[in-house]
Amino acid sequence: MPGTTAGHDIELIVEKVADDGGGILPPSNGARGGDEGKRPPKRRPSPRRYYTGIALGIVSVLMFFMALASAYLVRRGSPDWVPVRVPGLMWFNTAVLLVSSGTLEMARKRLGLLDVAGFRRLWAVTTILGVAFLIGQVVAWRQLVGEGIYLASNPASSFFYIFTGAHALHLLGGVGALLYVARRNFERAQVTRVVAAEVTSYYWHFMDGLWLFLLVLLYLGK
Amino acid sequence: MNSASLVFSTHHKTIGRQYLWLSLASVLCGMALSTLLRLHASWPETAIPFLAGVENSAQGYAAVRLLHGSLMVFFVLTAAPQFGFGNFLLPLQIGAREMAFPTLNFASLWLTVSSLVGMTASFFLPPSAGLNVWLASAGIFSLAALFSALNFSTTTIEMRAKGMTLPRMPVTVWAWFLNAILSMLIFSVLLAGTSALLSDRLLGSNFFSAGSFLAHQPQNLVRQASLPVLWQRLFWYFAQAQVYVAMLPCFGIITHLLATFARKPVWRERLQVLALCGVGLMGFWVWGHHMFATGMNPYAPLAFSVLAASLGVPAAVLLAGWLGTLWDGRVQFTTSMLFAIGFISLFIAGGLSGIFLARHDLATAAVSEDFVIGHFHLVMGVAATFAILAALFFWFPKLFGCRMNETLGKVHFWLTFAGVYCIFMPMHWLGLLTQSNLLGGGQRAALASAGASIRTMVTVATIWTVAAQSLFVINFFGSLVRRKKTEENNPWRASTLEWSVASPVPDDNFGVEELIVYRGAYEFAANGGDFTPQHLSPGLLVQKAD
Repeated sequence: MPGTTAGHDIELIVEKVADDGGGILPPSNGARGGDEGKRPPKRRPSPRRYYTGIALGIVSVLMFFMALASAYLVRRGSPDWVPVRVPGLMWFNTAVLLVSSGTLEMARKRLGLLDVAGFRRLWAVTTILGVAFLIGQVVAWRQLVGEGIYLASNPASSFFYIFTGAHALHLLGGVGALLYVARRNFERAQVTRVVAAEVTSYYWHFMDGLWLFLLVLLYLGK
Repeated sequence: MNSASLVFSTHHKTIGRQYLWLSLASVLCGMALSTLLRLHASWPETAIPFLAGVENSAQGYAAVRLLHGSLMVFFVLTAAPQFGFGNFLLPLQIGAREMAFPTLNFASLWLTVSSLVGMTASFFLPPSAGLNVWLASAGIFSLAALFSALNFSTTTIEMRAKGMTLPRMPVTVWAWFLNAILSMLIFSVLLAGTSALLSDRLLGSNFFSAGSFLAHQPQNLVRQASLPVLWQRLFWYFAQAQVYVAMLPCFGIITHLLATFARKPVWRERLQVLALCGVGLMGFWVWGHHMFATGMNPYAPLAFSVLAASLGVPAAVLLAGWLGTLWDGRVQFTTSMLFAIGFISLFIAGGLSGIFLARHDLATAAVSEDFVIGHFHLVMGVAATFAILAALFFWFPKLFGCRMNETLGKVHFWLTFAGVYCIFMPMHWLGLLTQSNLLGGGQRAALASAGASIRTMVTVATIWTVAAQSLFVINFFGSLVRRKKTEENNPWRASTLEWSVASPVPDDNFGVEELIVYRGAYEFAANGGDFTPQHLSPGLLVQKAD
């Protein structure tokens, strides 16, 4: 069963290269005859829309965080600002997240080598690391609460929690995507496993980079 | 197809129609509310049956105003031109069979519906809870708009038929596409703002703590810093960015219709598209300016000046393009065209009054609430509604497979056109009259009595205009009930792809044949014929000419 799936994937990689679906085609020169209309009607939609979709989605998510980041920088000057120290655990969590990006790439490499079992194993490791990061974040919040720093304490703490919280929420979506790719039966799907894994990887790496940015912002901005 | 699969469909045409129904329901409610407001403004003493409790308190009055605003801005002006017509027509005009992500589209529709329910419900709740629900609904609407924007832009980039190059795209498609890009950038900012504000209110966080928020408000507002005032300010904060989101697709629709009914190509089509990009860019820039530079204060005079001044350039280019397209055209005055020309008239009139608002020194002297209301209703409210009506009359055959009655439509147009000018022009005068305290006592008394009669006139004109809309309702539902099937696929002799298929559009849009696009969207009076459809192959064209 895994073998057949992989073969299926390969077939569709070829289709992706010889893509005939999207809109960025040269304008037809008008010399073609009416034979064009007799093509087989049911063609599989181009997978390119998933790449475009995730790219645009990433821009949108980035705008969300940039809006908050600019508000953070403006608000930082106010007199009621009490800096929040980034808990040590969050540095560890960062390492976990970075490793998860690595395992995800290794998983995709296995898929490229048609080793679906190896892909599944590494993909599961990535998912576990992602969940571990989220649990680590929750523990870090509890540490802060233990120190008496709440969401409502002051503007700095509000921003600290909304940045980390919103990122965690977005990452949770990423974990959902990882699980989807792991569990989905790609035999009957419109999208292949290769495409789904690649699109998910873009989002996951973006979440990784975004976290680094937020961490630096919170660390330097304090 | 059973009714459940009709309601819960992921198909783009069904979803487009559902958005239009949503808008129709909202516009009828919104209009009823505006009538109520005018009645109250003219005869404040008269209790209106059933609603005595609502409109006789300051808070109730403000709440009715905001329900009117929320319904109209979110669910009519934003939803109809972009989500309604866009969802229905974008795939058809680019030769696609479906949107890029149908399930996401479905989610977007039902998020919009829940936002409508939430916003409406918020006005029946106690003020504090109501504000929370309203804010949450605005957040949900932002999410819906984001999903929708993602879908529109991906569809335009990836799903175009063979030969549908960027320069060959209809201006409508450009407008929907640019608007989607703009929406994606601003609604995520809006979502961040609403989330932060809601967190302030529910969880006690300190993003926009009340103290710093009120410190940025003009003094006269801080004194009476009651909840309705805060509501109004927040409404403005959102509405400012919404203006561009509502207007961009309308610009596209109007450009498209003018070319079709003037039987001429769009004048300087590329320049028009660039102007649309300009509007989009400015819209985003101004929004960013509000958010980044002035925090939560939408009343910074400088921002207003820059906004109006920078928007003037692309607006002037668009206007020149419309007039250039009409110039020397063989104009057909269909109902749809009348509404399109009405749009231009309103756009000019509203734009002129906008100049007064742009100069902040003049603005402080001349501007009062009535003036502002008159201005933005002309430009945003009524002009955009005219564009929606023009589009509805034009695409009705594709939407529902029959045509609306032209005669009834024309009567409806003239009554409405006269009516809206009688409402919103005198409102400008009322705005100027409130400055009469600069004059002596005798003159002031004379002006005050004039003001009272103008107010009555506005109210009468409102009732007149609202009554005239019954013609539209009769026309709309009458056409649907009679269902006199249109014989032709292309009654307007238009050149874009949606007119190459039957009316109403078949479920699979273009059937099994692969569609190829051979030319631009506005080839009128070219190749020796009246018009040349985009999909007609050059071989067939030669045969036709022979």
